[in-house]
Amino acid sequence: MYDVTLIYLLLIGLAYLLLWRRSPKKTRQSLHVALASTRKMLPMLSAIFGLIGLFQVFVPPGLIESWLGGASGWRSLLAGGALGALVIGPPPAAFPLAGSLLDAGAWPPAVAAFVVAWISVGIVTLPFEAEIFGARFAIVRNTLAFVTALLIGLLIGSWT
Amino acid sequence: MSARHPSKFRRLLREHWLPLGTVLLYGWAALTASERALQALLIGLRTFGSVALLIVAVMGLVGLTQVWIGREAVGRLLGHEAGFKALLIAAFAGTLLIGPAYLIFPLLMSIHRQGARWAVIATVLSAYALKLPMIPLEIEFLGWGFSLGRSLLTLLFAIPCGLAVEAVMAIGRPRSE
Repeated sequence: MYDVTLIYLLLIGLAYLLLWRRSPKKTRQSLHVALASTRKMLPMLSAIFGLIGLFQVFVPPGLIESWLGGASGWRSLLAGGALGALVIGPPPAAFPLAGSLLDAGAWPPAVAAFVVAWISVGIVTLPFEAEIFGARFAIVRNTLAFVTALLIGLLIGSWT
Repeated sequence: MSARHPSKFRRLLREHWLPLGTVLLYGWAALTASERALQALLIGLRTFGSVALLIVAVMGLVGLTQVWIGREAVGRLLGHEAGFKALLIAAFAGTLLIGPAYLIFPLLMSIHRQGARWAVIATVLSAYALKLPMIPLEIEFLGWGFSLGRSLLTLLFAIPCGLAVEAVMAIGRPRSE
């Protein structure tokens, strides 16, 4: 991800340089908007990073395995989706955990719902999403993403 | 002067309730398990460090879109007038983006303010779950069938999910505004 980030950063820096030649005034205005947005977002983002740390320490993978492993049926599917929605962390951490859940005998649709909800639903980041887009959008989007995660879970589980 | 203090405090609480709540949680964690609280703080800082450059890039892009891209252009490309093409662009863009989704929230809102429809924003966020660069890792742990199935279904559901979010947003709008 780091290399791609550097490429993005380089391209955006280049865009600023090129646009500076066209209109220094507008480019300065862009920088001002960027700085103001960063200043506005930073307290919320810091809180999210703080919560990520707390979550990863106080809800370790072993605990999730004990909640999901072995069970099957609708309750397990819902639990998989709900846990995925609740957990926060990078997807590279979700895949090995999901793999070990499958090895432990967890129901495949529940594991699939867990992975999809992990990536697309964010309970911990919901306040931040609501702050940016408004509460209605955040709640509607996350609810629909949760339902989609359950549907995708069921579909993947039935074909794998 | 003294009457101002409660409202200032309420405003501070309303604007910064999440950072304040997080500080309180850390306080509780430090009191109950100080070592784990420190570990959590270090993980948080490490996570921040890993995406700090991405935050700079995203905010830089927010500055560019707000000042340089006109409402007409965004509307033409990503607004209602663009039709289904806007949703296809959104689904494609969503698969290309990297990093945690919450980092692009400000950028997406800035694009929405410029004229992009809600379905476009929700479609980008749905397609974002595809995580194209992560697919090799996913295959390694969960196998081809799982990874391929999840990717295809994520992409397939992205636009309907975006349209559904927009439909629900539209139902609420006349009542609230």
